[in-house]
Amino acid sequence: MSFSQVTQQLFEGFGTTCLLFILTLILAIPLGLIVCMGSMSKFKPLQAVVRAFVWIIRGTPLMLQLFVVFYVPGIVFDTPIFARFENGRFIAALIAFVINYSCYFSEIFRGGIQSIPKGQYEAAQVLGMTKAQTFFHIVVPQVIKRIVPPMSNEIITLVKDTSLARVIAVIDIIMVAENILALRALIWPLFYTGAFYLIFNGLLSVLFRFIEKKLNYYKL
Amino acid sequence: MKKFAKILAVVLAIATLTACLCFTLTACNKEVSDYEYMKGKGTLICGITLFEPMDYADEDGEITGFDAEFAQLVAEKLGLEAKFQVIKWNSKELELNSKSIDCIWNGLTVNEERKENMDFSQSYINNTQCVVVKSADLATLNTKAALEGKKAGAEAGSAGESAAKDLTENVTSVSAQMTALTELNAGTIDFAVVDVILAQSNCGKGDYADLAIQPAIELEAEEYAVGFRKGSDIVEKVNAAINELKADGTLLALAEKYGLAGQLIK
Repeated sequence: MSFSQVTQQLFEGFGTTCLLFILTLILAIPLGLIVCMGSMSKFKPLQAVVRAFVWIIRGTPLMLQLFVVFYVPGIVFDTPIFARFENGRFIAALIAFVINYSCYFSEIFRGGIQSIPKGQYEAAQVLGMTKAQTFFHIVVPQVIKRIVPPMSNEIITLVKDTSLARVIAVIDIIMVAENILALRALIWPLFYTGAFYLIFNGLLSVLFRFIEKKLNYYKL
Repeated sequence: MKKFAKILAVVLAIATLTACLCFTLTACNKEVSDYEYMKGKGTLICGITLFEPMDYADEDGEITGFDAEFAQLVAEKLGLEAKFQVIKWNSKELELNSKSIDCIWNGLTVNEERKENMDFSQSYINNTQCVVVKSADLATLNTKAALEGKKAGAEAGSAGESAAKDLTENVTSVSAQMTALTELNAGTIDFAVVDVILAQSNCGKGDYADLAIQPAIELEAEEYAVGFRKGSDIVEKVNAAINELKADGTLLALAEKYGLAGQLIK
């Protein structure tokens, strides 16, 4: 198998990797906001439920969560919902990733919001701003700025975590390389996949640095 | 904010309730047999891993091989369409019991432990496990005694793993048979125990050019069969279909095509 053939096959797997990454990101950020509001809620029962949920999701391995999402409907309830679609495995992986990452994101958001000193809320109140005005015009711009470094960390981890989806046989770039290994007895494509991740994460790092620069306001 | 929290709480509660309701409703109507279930959806989903010559992807990415064509022939006789799903080998019982696949048709070795978790069709191929070493070690690692205390590698949950454990106490269980060969190549183990059919199609090829089957060591013989869910009523029908394919010579012709005629159970 030539270099270009291997590259082409790996690109097919990398497409799945990228799709899983992008969809997880798009869905987990808004869901993370909702989870964040729940865990900061003044309504205690809701807060307790949401915090317990975050504890379970952050406290168990993502690999286990993938197994639960994909296998439990068939084993426990005798309804293999994901086996019915052509890309059911991808959907199952996406659900597990979105739930997992929204919990991590929610904690980053909570940290960002709670890092704003109380004095600023009081000052805004004195200036006659409503609660909504304070939140959207004073708090949010500072929060966005503060959460960029931890978010970029988590997002880069997500790129690499997508390779876990292959435990439920989602054919990502690493699984393509494993299949080449199984059929052609070639080992190097497996290590070659590293280059794909490296370049992709390199581009992301550049993007984050650019965003950080753009958000360089309120500098003391 | 408080209002929002209450709405969210109500929405969450409703979502949980409906989810529970859906599951109990669907769980109720499971009074169909396994074969009727497959008939209903029209497919026989075969769980496979890619390995030549049993199941592998051809130039166009279509799954082919001895097991693949065999499965298609049997499925046709049962009025089903054979579909192939690549799985992770050590999740095969999970895949089968969660109905993500309907059978394991991929050079599955029959053994007692597996019989507790699944039902097998009649056996169709004779297989053995074999010892693979580096070509340079062929002359030295040539008896069972020479392997004692050496580092072995085999696929976790495979028949080769138990065979390896009989040979030496130092066994590394890896995630795939091919990984055992990679470990051997990298020098992290001294020998690997894998299916002879897999070894034949890989040793001396590509990056495994340096590996060879040790012909001086013979391990116990075993058989390949198709694995189904425990208690499935499709097993009988599959056995009848296999008998027909044996009787009219179709299966032998297929075995010849993939160089397995010598190993076919007649």
